[in-house]
Amino acid sequence: MLLTSVVIVLREVLEASLLISVLSALSGVLGIHRRWIGWSLLFGLAGAVGYSFGVAAISDWFDGVGQEVTSAVMQLLIFLLLLMFTFLVAQDPGKQRFSGKLIVLVMAATVSLGVTREGFEILVYLYGFSADLPRFITILSGSVIGACIGISIGALIYYLVSALSYRLSLIAGLGLLALVAAGMLSQAVLLLIQADWLPSQFPLWDSSGWLPESSVTGQLLYALIGYEATPTALQASFYFGGLLLLLIVAVFAVRSREQAS
Amino acid sequence: MFSRTKKIYFQAVLVVVCSTSVNTVHADKPVIEIEIRDHLFWPSEVTVPANTKVKLLVYNKDPTSEEFESYELNREKVIMGNRKAVIFIGPLLPGVYPFFGEFNPDTAQGKVIVE
Amino acid sequence: MLLAIMTLTVFLSALHGYRSSMAEVQQLFDSELLDKARLLAITGNGRSVGVEVVSISDQYAFQVWQGDEIFQRSSNTPLTAISNLDEGYQDVNFGRHRWRTYTWVDLARNRRAVTAERIDIRNVLAERIILKSVMPVIVTLPVAGLLIWLIVGYGLAPLRNLAAHLRSRRAEDLRPIPETRQPLELMQVITSTNDLLARLEASFLRERRFASDAAHELRTPISALKVHLHNMSKNLPAGDHDLVQLEAAVDRMGSLVEQILALHRTAPDQYMARFREIDLYQLVQQVIISSYSGFEQRDIQLELTGARTLMSGDQFALETLVKNLLDNACKYTPAGGHVRVSVATDSAGIMLQVEDSGPGVPEEHYERIFDRFYRAGGDRHQSGVVGCGLGLAIVRHIADLHGASIHLKKSSFESGLSVSVVFPGITGNEGE
Repeated sequence: MLLTSVVIVLREVLEASLLISVLSALSGVLGIHRRWIGWSLLFGLAGAVGYSFGVAAISDWFDGVGQEVTSAVMQLLIFLLLLMFTFLVAQDPGKQRFSGKLIVLVMAATVSLGVTREGFEILVYLYGFSADLPRFITILSGSVIGACIGISIGALIYYLVSALSYRLSLIAGLGLLALVAAGMLSQAVLLLIQADWLPSQFPLWDSSGWLPESSVTGQLLYALIGYEATPTALQASFYFGGLLLLLIVAVFAVRSREQAS
Repeated sequence: MFSRTKKIYFQAVLVVVCSTSVNTVHADKPVIEIEIRDHLFWPSEVTVPANTKVKLLVYNKDPTSEEFESYELNREKVIMGNRKAVIFIGPLLPGVYPFFGEFNPDTAQGKVIVE
Repeated sequence: MLLAIMTLTVFLSALHGYRSSMAEVQQLFDSELLDKARLLAITGNGRSVGVEVVSISDQYAFQVWQGDEIFQRSSNTPLTAISNLDEGYQDVNFGRHRWRTYTWVDLARNRRAVTAERIDIRNVLAERIILKSVMPVIVTLPVAGLLIWLIVGYGLAPLRNLAAHLRSRRAEDLRPIPETRQPLELMQVITSTNDLLARLEASFLRERRFASDAAHELRTPISALKVHLHNMSKNLPAGDHDLVQLEAAVDRMGSLVEQILALHRTAPDQYMARFREIDLYQLVQQVIISSYSGFEQRDIQLELTGARTLMSGDQFALETLVKNLLDNACKYTPAGGHVRVSVATDSAGIMLQVEDSGPGVPEEHYERIFDRFYRAGGDRHQSGVVGCGLGLAIVRHIADLHGASIHLKKSSFESGLSVSVVFPGITGNEGE
């Protein structure tokens, strides 16, 4: 029970804390006030509560695959928002009057969506056990451990990205975001395959013997770079396509910032 | 009605986005029903044909929610208490694909046997 | 940061311990199941009539099969086989629970014994045992974190105190930092800082001495020059062109030296420490009296309005400020013009305003007239008056020292400049 709760909560918290830590570190690098984090966390939590109330109804949409579609849309949105964020960073920092506010809005929306998605599963999970007190306590302690690990990893990444020089911070931050965004895109594709909206295929490769997705490392890599042990060709092509797109924009972003500074 | 038109619209968008043809859901697919009761899967073993897309209908008869999860099948879906869920799996190569209820992995265990 | 690393290592190692001990306990339970199955297969005599049903605890179940027939079973098992009766371990569902089963096959007697144990109960048991060993580690973490936080905080306290001490110091306070009861590491910082402070103070003193020395050294020859010039003028026809030029140049040199000295005296921050309560109105009155002759000569009407207004400031510096403003007004106002001085208090603070009816300054020059040695209209000033362009620079400097702001605008006369100096209102703020 304990281990399960640790793994479940860790996986969800890790994805959200990764987004938050990288974006807040980049805020620092770009000289943006971090006030937005608190607000977007609140929004995200409210979204998670709302989603967990509405999920029963949402599941019935689209012939029973509403949950997959909603989740996929959220992940697609996060991908697009991260793409937009990188674009905004790539913009000429000289004429920032407009994009300065937009960039904060984009970051806040990304974190809100991320927290909504991840918080929802934790809420549903915890709620299921709230009636059974002794088990609930075990599960809650496991959840706290999982959350602590997730937040600690996020904090470490935050310090790591912040501690680098301006240029390296930018490269590391945008690179991590590109990986996260590509992972989101591939997850969205997977969900649409699960909903039978996209054709399913045989896996392109199977690395589950080498690095199973269920292992701690597998979970970590899943959250960090969207690792899949048995991805289909469609998933892989979207993953690498998205990654490439973001990395290209990121290269422009680093260049334009470098020239500006 | 509403959801149907919305779905077609979404699919149209997706077709444009990925420029691959999307098989519509109407093709006949075997339907397999699984029940969750007392945090157990009934039946805990299902057999499906190889190289075929299969529609899993999972009924959650427990009041608590459960998450159908399988790393081997690459599937993950939250099923609220007293609800059913649709999960499409396959086409798959012959073999054994375990699945479990992530919220109660001690007891909610099962496998898909592909032949 | 430290806490994050600690949390990670402690929790991950605790989880690792949890997992490996869980696997071990499971193995223990499994071998127990195996032993029970063997025991069951050996015991029954094989000549049973019907099925023997045995009640046992809810946690366990068993079935013994003789060939195809069930021959012994626990009451919580169905009549059908609970596993596929192949030898080995197997996880199955029956009777609303999930069970771990072991089937022992005794080929000689054609007998199969299946023992089963409820997985949920067994996991809870295993977890309870393991949590007892893992929990202390997890519980200690927040305690350790708190302790580390406190100790680090305590260890850094002297550094924080030193920083606070330095922050609260006034700029002119160059006394050494007290070296009492400091950790060794800080002592080195403090000694070198004190060293630096001492050198700084010495150089400040040198600079100040240089200023007053220069004052003495320059004032005397200039006065002598003036005396000689006066004597010389007696021997020359009145209005001699060269003489007038020379007198003007000497006057200009004199005022230049006076102004430079004034600027030097007001430059160091230590003047702020000498702020006293001053009646600005009275101060302005005194300055007017001392420089009234200049206005009278040029037939300028001088007007003063206001009332007793207390503020904190440096007497000499403020006198210089007012004198410079008045001199400027006098200089640039044509004969027969007006100059109005007012002292007033309003919400913004205490305002000293000097207005003249001179030519005024074009708005685009407002910023530049405060620059040192800048003179409106260039060096060949149309008014042809003696000046060195330092007056307003000094005014601004003194205003800055008093935290005051200067505003320029057109005067309320037909033409001319209005200079207002607004001092922050409340007295006693000088320490900021």
